[in-house]
Amino acid sequence: MSTVDRRPIMTAGLTALALAAGIGLLGATAAQAQQQPPIKIGLLPPVTGPLASPGADMVNGFRLFWEQANNTAGGRKIEVVIGDTTCNPDQALAQARRLVLQEKVNILVGPLCGHEGPAVAQVSKETGVPLVMDAAGADNVTKWDRTPTVVRTAVSSSQIGHPFGEYLYKELGLRNATFIGADYTFGHEVTLGAIKTFTALGGKVAKLIWNPIGTKDYGTTISTIPADTDGVVAVVVGADRIRLFEDWYNFGMDKKLKIYGGYWLQEDMLSQVDDRAVGMIANSLHYAAGIDTPENKAFVDAYVAKYKRLPSWFSESAYTAALWVKTAIDSIGGKVEDRDAFLKAMRTVQVKAPRGPLKLDAYDNPVQNVYISKIAKVKHPVLGDVLVPTPVKTYEAVSQFWTWTPEEFMARGPYKR
Amino acid sequence: MMRLLLAIIALAVVLAVPAFAGEFWTTLLTQIMIFALLALSADLLLGSAGLFSLCQASFFAVAAYTTAILQVRHGVGTLIAAPAGVLAGTLLALVFAFAVRTRGVYFILITLAFGYIVWGVAYRWASFTGGDNGVTNVPLPAIGPLRVTGTTQYYYVVLVVVLLCVWAYRILTASPFGLSLRGIKSSETRMRSLGYDIGRHLYMAFVLAGVFASIAGVLYVYHNRFINPVAGSFPVSVEAVLMAIIGGSGTILGPFIGAGIVLILRNWVSGFFHYYTGMLGIVFIVTVLWAPKGIMGLIARWKSGDRGEGV
Repeated sequence: MSTVDRRPIMTAGLTALALAAGIGLLGATAAQAQQQPPIKIGLLPPVTGPLASPGADMVNGFRLFWEQANNTAGGRKIEVVIGDTTCNPDQALAQARRLVLQEKVNILVGPLCGHEGPAVAQVSKETGVPLVMDAAGADNVTKWDRTPTVVRTAVSSSQIGHPFGEYLYKELGLRNATFIGADYTFGHEVTLGAIKTFTALGGKVAKLIWNPIGTKDYGTTISTIPADTDGVVAVVVGADRIRLFEDWYNFGMDKKLKIYGGYWLQEDMLSQVDDRAVGMIANSLHYAAGIDTPENKAFVDAYVAKYKRLPSWFSESAYTAALWVKTAIDSIGGKVEDRDAFLKAMRTVQVKAPRGPLKLDAYDNPVQNVYISKIAKVKHPVLGDVLVPTPVKTYEAVSQFWTWTPEEFMARGPYKR
Repeated sequence: MMRLLLAIIALAVVLAVPAFAGEFWTTLLTQIMIFALLALSADLLLGSAGLFSLCQASFFAVAAYTTAILQVRHGVGTLIAAPAGVLAGTLLALVFAFAVRTRGVYFILITLAFGYIVWGVAYRWASFTGGDNGVTNVPLPAIGPLRVTGTTQYYYVVLVVVLLCVWAYRILTASPFGLSLRGIKSSETRMRSLGYDIGRHLYMAFVLAGVFASIAGVLYVYHNRFINPVAGSFPVSVEAVLMAIIGGSGTILGPFIGAGIVLILRNWVSGFFHYYTGMLGIVFIVTVLWAPKGIMGLIARWKSGDRGEGV
């Protein structure tokens, strides 16, 4: 009996101890918070709308980082406020203004959709609040239409296209390729970037086919592929990725031609395709979940443990944006109110991200590795059998200007259809 | 007397907003006024003439693009760029107004097609419109030494322009022309038998609606300081009509109430309530089912003493 009686007392004692410790901790953080108010970061993902699923990846990656960092940077607490952009520039602008004017955020991070980029940059310009652009890729933002208060931590669209053109010619031996491109700015910049380097080496474009986003049927596209082409390159986004995959097999094209993904089979949609994808060239991207470095392994493991799925490049990109912001805030001792100092720190610090080493070039775009990845089937301890894009070739420290000088590139003008 | 008093109080509140409400609400109210003007333009066709137009965003966007391109790429001043924008939108309306040769669902379909043409051109003619990237860095308006330097000043500019438009709209709907439009809405055949030229009336109404939409477009581009094809897209046209319906079609205040509800839900409520799009949907459904005349209709019913118990 006596043992039974003692148990509540012990529990009570332990609870009291835990409480005391808790209060002590609370007291410590409260004291810290009293010294300096929290730093507010406004995140601008599309929580609803056509790109809600990459938007969720972005929020997850961002939250994961701050959780690991104990929600502190430079000795101050971090508060993340989210504004839903719905992948509409008008809405992105209104939300960015809300975050700045009402929530009084110190820093903006986002948006995700390419065409929202210039809109949010506009808010940064008129209010002076630094914008860390992630993951919108519009080339313009770090080339012809730069804003002093905007830095990019993700990627310029054509930055991932250029290495792929060279890969197609040199490694895959293509000479007469057909390109299927998504018909909007991002698609144009990636596809035309690849074509530029491919044709510069002597490759020929057998045919270039543009498809609007949301193409329901790739039959017409597939039937116009010229017979004499020696390979097909796909740059497709959203649900079109799966439709193209299915139609490719439905029309028996797998027996006739090889297809290579310039931007195609990514982590978020691989659970919806089957083993037919194994061995295919998936992407030419600055991230692939299969990157074999300790940084990436730690990131992927933590991400999988928390969300039960593989991180996509949107997850990694948001995670890295947070890492970059924290590194910068730490280096200036938390004084984000000095916007110039913060921006200078963002421009000078170097980070070791899951996707590799990163730093900004003189035009505020990261110099980074671009990975050509192939789909591999992996036995994952948590997820079971999964398809993972795994790098087969790494182009190290790729600049947004590829091998051209910035002046040459700038004089040439943007990639346009 | 009561109404005059109410109007004076309302005006005083609206004038004082920037002083006590802070920059966020000032910006949001500016946006509400601009979209209310667009909704009002849609309602000139719907509420007065009974035509459901799905291309109001076209005039809005064409006016906005014209002003933006003139200001940004050609360095033209506001004094010319803003009227040029309204003119461009109006010219487009003169062409699109031929849609009034059709009625009912055909009118909806043809205006839908017109709307898509404008959106498609803005989206695809990238060398001129900037495509997806749009036109950025639109300056704040300035006429000679008079410069708008901040959101508060621009709020007053929009307030004055919108009030002038409302005044014009009031005169228009109360004029013989406006009354004959209502007549056409009630019974086209009767109006025709009375000798009215229906076609010319509707054509005129369509063009005037285009003028209001164009003015809204110019106000919008100086507010956002950025334009991209989304401004001319189908959802913008639909929303303009929905705002009018929620607030109360056929009234002047209705579009303002509707624009207020939609934009406050989207821009403010979305910050703390994740399912705001669902709420927006519920508002639409409830309006259509139980308050087809919108909020203004509810107020009118309440004032008339009809609580809905009787027939």
